[in-house]
Amino acid sequence: MTDPLRQLLPLLEIRWGRVARAVTLGTLTLVCAIGLAAAAAWLVARASQMPPVLVLSVAAVGVRAFGTGRAFFRYLERLASHDVALRGMAALRANLYDRIARGGADVVALRRGDLLARVGNDVDDVGDVVVRALIPGAVAVVTGIGSVVLVGVFLPPAGLVLLAGLLLTGVVSPWLASRASASVEVRGAAARGEVSARTLELLEDGQQLRVAGRLADRRAGLAAAEDRLAAATDDGARVAGVSAGLEAGAQTLAVLGCLLLGVPAALAGDLAATELAVVVLTPLAVFEVTAALPAAAVQLRRSRAAARRLLELLSSSDAPARPGPDGPQTRAGASGRLVLDGVAAGWGGPAGTSVVEGVDLAVGPGSVVALAGASGVGKTTLLVTAAGLLAPAEGEVHGPGLFVAEDGHVFGTTVLENLRVARADVDEREAREALAAVGLADWLDGLPDGLGTLLGTGGSDVSGGERRRLLIARALLAPHSVLLVDEPAEHLDARTADALVETLAKIARTSGRAVVVASHRLAPLGAADEVLLLGHDDADPAGVPARVVARGTHAELLRDVPAYRWAATQELTSGGAGPGSA
Amino acid sequence: MRPLDPRLLRQARAARSYVLLTTALGAASAALVVVQAFAIAHALAPVVVATSPGLDGPVDRAELVRWSAVLAGAAVGRALVAWAQERFGRGAATRVVADLRRQVVAHAVALGPRPPAGARPADVATLATRGLGDLEPYLVRFLPQLLLTALVTPATVLVVLGLDWISALVAAVTLPLVPFFMWLIGTMTAGTSERRLATVERLGSQVLDLVAGLPTLRAFGREVGPAARVRALGESSRRATMKTLRVAFLSGAVLELLTTLCVAVIAVGVGLRLVHGGVELVPALAVLVLAPEIFLPLRRVGAEFHASSDGLAATARAFGVLDSPVAPAGDRQPPRPVGGELVLDDVTVRAPGRHVDAPAHLSARITLGTGEPGGGRVVALRGLSGAGKSTLVLLLLGLLRPDSGRVLLAPGPAQDAAQDLADVDATAWWEQVAWVPQRPAIGPGTVHDVVTDGRDVPPATLDAVARTTGLDAVLADLPDGWHTRVGLGGVGLSVGQRQRIALARTLVGATDRPVVVLDEPTAHLDARGEQVVLDTVRTWREAGRTVVVVAHRASLLALADQVVDVEAREVVGS
Repeated sequence: MTDPLRQLLPLLEIRWGRVARAVTLGTLTLVCAIGLAAAAAWLVARASQMPPVLVLSVAAVGVRAFGTGRAFFRYLERLASHDVALRGMAALRANLYDRIARGGADVVALRRGDLLARVGNDVDDVGDVVVRALIPGAVAVVTGIGSVVLVGVFLPPAGLVLLAGLLLTGVVSPWLASRASASVEVRGAAARGEVSARTLELLEDGQQLRVAGRLADRRAGLAAAEDRLAAATDDGARVAGVSAGLEAGAQTLAVLGCLLLGVPAALAGDLAATELAVVVLTPLAVFEVTAALPAAAVQLRRSRAAARRLLELLSSSDAPARPGPDGPQTRAGASGRLVLDGVAAGWGGPAGTSVVEGVDLAVGPGSVVALAGASGVGKTTLLVTAAGLLAPAEGEVHGPGLFVAEDGHVFGTTVLENLRVARADVDEREAREALAAVGLADWLDGLPDGLGTLLGTGGSDVSGGERRRLLIARALLAPHSVLLVDEPAEHLDARTADALVETLAKIARTSGRAVVVASHRLAPLGAADEVLLLGHDDADPAGVPARVVARGTHAELLRDVPAYRWAATQELTSGGAGPGSA
Repeated sequence: MRPLDPRLLRQARAARSYVLLTTALGAASAALVVVQAFAIAHALAPVVVATSPGLDGPVDRAELVRWSAVLAGAAVGRALVAWAQERFGRGAATRVVADLRRQVVAHAVALGPRPPAGARPADVATLATRGLGDLEPYLVRFLPQLLLTALVTPATVLVVLGLDWISALVAAVTLPLVPFFMWLIGTMTAGTSERRLATVERLGSQVLDLVAGLPTLRAFGREVGPAARVRALGESSRRATMKTLRVAFLSGAVLELLTTLCVAVIAVGVGLRLVHGGVELVPALAVLVLAPEIFLPLRRVGAEFHASSDGLAATARAFGVLDSPVAPAGDRQPPRPVGGELVLDDVTVRAPGRHVDAPAHLSARITLGTGEPGGGRVVALRGLSGAGKSTLVLLLLGLLRPDSGRVLLAPGPAQDAAQDLADVDATAWWEQVAWVPQRPAIGPGTVHDVVTDGRDVPPATLDAVARTTGLDAVLADLPDGWHTRVGLGGVGLSVGQRQRIALARTLVGATDRPVVVLDEPTAHLDARGEQVVLDTVRTWREAGRTVVVVAHRASLLALADQVVDVEAREVVGS
């Protein structure tokens, strides 16, 4: 398998010129650090020979210049490398969005907050690889070789000792650190997950656990999970400890090695006194070269895992979601008319199991059809299929409509921009009319900046009822002539919910649109021309797809179907306890 | 903000040993730094002198070997210290976090169902899972460097003072400049960088917002257009971030400039004084080696500074929870709630965040079941949404105290034996009460374990219970029937399924709990589900238990022996 990071790298659109600039600046930073040490060592050794002060002036200026230059170059290097990383992240984000948007992905899964946040973190992690791994790595190689050459010119064996030390801290130690962090992350993942789950359980259910006398038991469970987490950390710490020990010891050992090689050479006259000082004291500064590498190795591994997850996301989104020409079909139909012909629907696609089957349905302009049935019977799946967003498992869909999700997204932008999601050229007058049609005129008047008010993330909060109405207003502005509205009444109190369904039916009739509405509340369905009751026979074993068990007008179903009548009566009695009683 | 919260040391035992360990290792590392400098200087100086043209000094080979051995010892010592810090420090830090998390969670639960702001389950959950995670980098990376700064820096300055007082003076003058300049830049830029950071976050969240809205965009067929917008947002986010960084890196640059320049100044100074014989070569070399070590911990503290602010913020929030007072516990033994009354005496609770009392001045006498077969009672709590029915349940359970009025347990007709629930030992009271909340907690374990609660229950009884509570239908849908694992890491259950398991558990187990409290048991149920609840409630009544039930539907109200009407009242003039 090829490296996922390398596969993802083109999406970062990295310009190597910028990387080279950052590496050069990073190298200059370390050249200053090492130069400072070497020049200072030479200066002190030479000074001890009590020469004329003028001899020392170049070295003195050099030491001061290196001392100043280091901070200067470091500042520029950090800016340059972060600029590369940020450009990479921005490009990656844009390319990811583009690929996901164009692909037929199961973007519904992206909805989940944690997954979304993970994609955000993964992008950051992949971008971080530039700042934390690639550039420090390149800088370390260049300056490492440079300092080995510097010492080696004076005394070749000392250069080799330094090289050995650098390999220890630059290769072995990072490798161990990366292994340690991998083992903590992999082995600790289960324990960490359990700690979170048990923490959440205690917090959510704590009061009932107290009453049930099970609190001590669950707290012990949390403690045990914490212990497992600590054990995993301990395991990793054993390896990480060796890595840290190597790193700390290698520097002193390299100095010792250079000393042991340099002293005989100096006494034999092969090495001048000043050169000996440089050979022995330079290694003290050189190891800064590899200091960032253990963290770089850890970052590289994290970034690689993040890249792998992003690639999986991309490959799943590149898979065609729609069937080929031989499979069951979604066809454009006569405008304003939706026809389902023997449709079976399920999330598994054509090959998967259906949750609903055998649905025939025709809706024309100005008419309203309702899908009723218990929660989870497959109303939403059927609507998504009728919208052409999901291929039917069997049968054909003609003239797919616009799916208006129960939890449609309200974007963190203005009211007007949210409505323009339906159509780019919605003007203010149309926006006001649509909001008024769903009964949001007063709400709009109450907003601080009218249509320009920011909503959602970081903006004004929208209540459940307002949100549902806003989503329907948006759907009304879309050019689609068939609207498929999922649970318009969810999370609303009974009175508001019923009013909303009735408004929807009225708009359908006046504007000549066809509307299919799924609802588990039956009370407002009198407004529909036909009601399809989805469900199972009592004799059906579990796992059998739901079917249309009854169809007719609301009044007919109330008269003929006992289960429908019972459910409707329950709504009335519970409605008696007041609005929003559920 | 203090760099180390003293409450952390008081509260978390693990933190004390961690700080102790890190301090000891810090002291050892300071000593080793000094030893290393002396060893290098003593080994190198005689050779430099001996090999310099025009100078001639004796080279004592034994001395050379001795100092080399010391240097080797220092290498081993430094390796050991670094190893120990990583090997034991990280584990200790994990334990500190675990310790604090356990305390925070336990305290949050003990605060009851209406904790103060900042200690609500959602807040504490964020704090306990993610927030306290920030404490680990603080403990592992920042704190050791802070302690090293406190130990190594003054120790090396003192040693340098003994070697060459001018160099020590240069270092001593530079050291206070570092925090001063960092503070200066910090105050000058604090406002701007925070504002820019907010911009960056907003731009970042807009991209995520677009991705989150993809299903909606796709439904409208408008998913391709925003790609250009994502790119533009990314570009402006980068520009805003770079502006922040230009400022943020400035303090790091100043820190680095001051420290390296100081090292350079010391080196040049020592060199020039060597020429005039103002200083010997051995101390000069030692000073040269020691000078960077004075500033090393300080530079690392600067690099880990953000870890400190995140960790300290998490600590402060944790202690915010731990410092919220818990209502004092009662210690009286409650009477057995059989054959007496539960008396609500003018009970009022202020609804959190609203000017409403719910319930408001509620007085009622709830007659308890006799505990004998046929002597049970069903008591329905009725009222509009928000009237305080669930609050009343919490009062009866003793999880919440009324703001005014009393809840009394009157075991018999004799009124004087009545006990205020507030004075009663809550644990003893809970042993007498079974509670089925709207979303019952289930597991971890198999369905069988959960329902029997470790009791030995004959299979025939279990089957009968499963039929009564509708658990049989749930079991038919579960992969392994009674032996399906539920709860943590097990099969996910719907609210309805949870409720049936909880009903069965309360029916089988908890037979020694005379009072059963059900909160809205029929919400969202179909005909069969409702029948199940009615049957179960009847069975409990047959067994002589008292069933207190929050009821909306007519069928449940019809079953009740007693109906308590709960009303809320707006508070005027506040």
